[in-house]
Amino acid sequence: MIGIEHVSKTFGRFPAINDVSLDIAEGELVALLGPSGSGKTTLLRIIAGLEHADQGRIVLDGVDATNMGARERHVGFVFQHYGLFRHMTVLANVSFGLDIRPRRSRPSRADRTKRARELLDLVQIGNLGDRYPSQLSGGQRQRVALARALAIEPRILLLDEPFGALDAKVRKELRRWLRELHDTLKITGVFVTHDQEEALEVADRVVVMNQGAIEQVGTPTEVYDAPGTPFVFEFMGHVNSLPCTVHNREITVGGIRFAAPEYQEVEDDFAVAFVRPHALEVVAPGTDGSLAATVLHELVLGPTVRLDIRVEKLGVLEAEISRIVHDELRIKRGSRIGIIPRHMQTFLSGGNAGPSVRMEERRDAPPPTPPQMPKGRTGRPLSEIMRRLSGRRD
Amino acid sequence: MATRIERLPLLSARPAELSEPLWARVVVTALAIVVLTLVILVPLVSVFSEALAKGIGAYLEALGDPDSLAAMRLTALTASIAVPINLAFGIAASWTIAKFRFPGRSVLVSLIDLPFAVSPVISGLIYVLMFGAQGWLGPLLAEYDIKIIFAVPGIILATIFVTFPFIARELIPIMEAQGTSDEEAAMMLGAGFWQVLFRVTMPNVGLSLLYGVLLCNARAMGEFGAVSVVSGHIRGLTNTMPLQAEIFYNEYNFVAAFSVASLLALLALVTLVAKSVIEWRRKRAPSGEGGAG
Repeated sequence: MIGIEHVSKTFGRFPAINDVSLDIAEGELVALLGPSGSGKTTLLRIIAGLEHADQGRIVLDGVDATNMGARERHVGFVFQHYGLFRHMTVLANVSFGLDIRPRRSRPSRADRTKRARELLDLVQIGNLGDRYPSQLSGGQRQRVALARALAIEPRILLLDEPFGALDAKVRKELRRWLRELHDTLKITGVFVTHDQEEALEVADRVVVMNQGAIEQVGTPTEVYDAPGTPFVFEFMGHVNSLPCTVHNREITVGGIRFAAPEYQEVEDDFAVAFVRPHALEVVAPGTDGSLAATVLHELVLGPTVRLDIRVEKLGVLEAEISRIVHDELRIKRGSRIGIIPRHMQTFLSGGNAGPSVRMEERRDAPPPTPPQMPKGRTGRPLSEIMRRLSGRRD
Repeated sequence: MATRIERLPLLSARPAELSEPLWARVVVTALAIVVLTLVILVPLVSVFSEALAKGIGAYLEALGDPDSLAAMRLTALTASIAVPINLAFGIAASWTIAKFRFPGRSVLVSLIDLPFAVSPVISGLIYVLMFGAQGWLGPLLAEYDIKIIFAVPGIILATIFVTFPFIARELIPIMEAQGTSDEEAAMMLGAGFWQVLFRVTMPNVGLSLLYGVLLCNARAMGEFGAVSVVSGHIRGLTNTMPLQAEIFYNEYNFVAAFSVASLLALLALVTLVAKSVIEWRRKRAPSGEGGAG
């Protein structure tokens, strides 16, 4: 169990971590997800004892570890660039943590070798024990690094961008394998990543970080389907942002009105509605309740088609539709179509999450998710969100 | 990697269409060979030919001279003290500079280079100014009857000063390139300070360390300027080999002068060969530095 209590850390004048609190349960695998500079690696290094927090406490298994050095914490750490000892064989690397123990707690040489061999088998490179790190591929090196970290039987395992230096195919393979390994070992684990797909696929719980603070904590489904802040919405995948107005418990987007009973106390305010590309339904032009749009570009990606469309007053949006709909409507470049936002999340100009608005579905829609209200955090002003979004789309 | 092996044109590392004209290649290469021969090879050969000018018997006799033997002993003693001390200082300094960030770090880097920048004679004079009879600490030392200048301790101090940068200079770049993740990994596995130093950091720089020690030793044995200032040239007591060679030469005892010089030249040749072997091994060793890590 890991307890992070009001931890802050500053590098010079740059605040890396700002009052972060988080509890990680026994046996849980948690992803720290965020862009570079969000403080996720610093937080991991503070848990490991490689950095010291300026303020706050780190509690490991109920014991205050704030002032413990890295070597007393008994924590396994896997580095992005492996940190393997290049002058030692793979086997010697793995048994290093046992070899350096003081004589009285050190297992016999035979036992240490046996344990190292077992670990190499566990990470599926049992035949590479006599090689040197420079003779291994990136994926194999990361497996060695993991086996080495596990050799000291750590109470928690920390991984800093463990797959960051690997190519896409190996990365996918290894992350699935890490998930399975975690299910076998049931060790409490924290890993850092900037890849949302990786976090969603591997972790039990995702902690989204931005500018040294936690934006949202939740299961992968929660974080993806019900982002708590505009930042999380953007970071968790491609998204369209539609400027809209709130009036009389209704949201108006490009001339279409949606009922929004949650906005009881809001009158005449601006808001932004976020819509994922797959939640924009494409229909025949002129369909009731649809916005008129023109197809600028189409890109067929196997079973789905990605469309760049221009909607009057809303600008250029991205929609993702099935091949079937695409063929039925005979869409090509320049086609006039109608679009209906099926599921959107609005944020008021103050940054507070509003209702998750869902239109009546016509065909095979996923079950609705309950609206998520923010947890006491105010986001950025609307103007800034708009500026960043428009900047990104160009 | 090129898959086809081409025949390269004479004196060129590139295909003909990318090479300079033949006359240019011949002139430049010839110039290099002539200069090398005149400046380095001829003097080196002449050292040995002068030493052996009156036969091997005279050569051995010159080396057996009590003053020569005393010079050899003093040189060996000086190197055997200066090199280990600089080894310890060099490792400590390069470790500090390469693995930590702290205020004043760049000043420390410059300080390490100081002995390279200062003329060796000046280095010697600094010690005379400090420890000499008229120096800052002179009266105090005289009171306790401690002799540093014109004695063996001064020679050792001057040698340490002059040879200080060799090992640190060799280690800093490679330690910086390797970063700190190996040390952090070892720490996370429970290793203490000395375990990290002896099991991870030092083996990681092993060949460079050996190379630095070799260079440091060659310079410690061959140093002339700084040692000349502090030695006082007392025969059989404070003359190192380079100083003894000079004395023999000034006395027109050429065979003896060149005999002592030939030993120093031999030391240089051995150092060069060892250096080549180390560099060759550094390129090939799968486990050594330079491998991916």
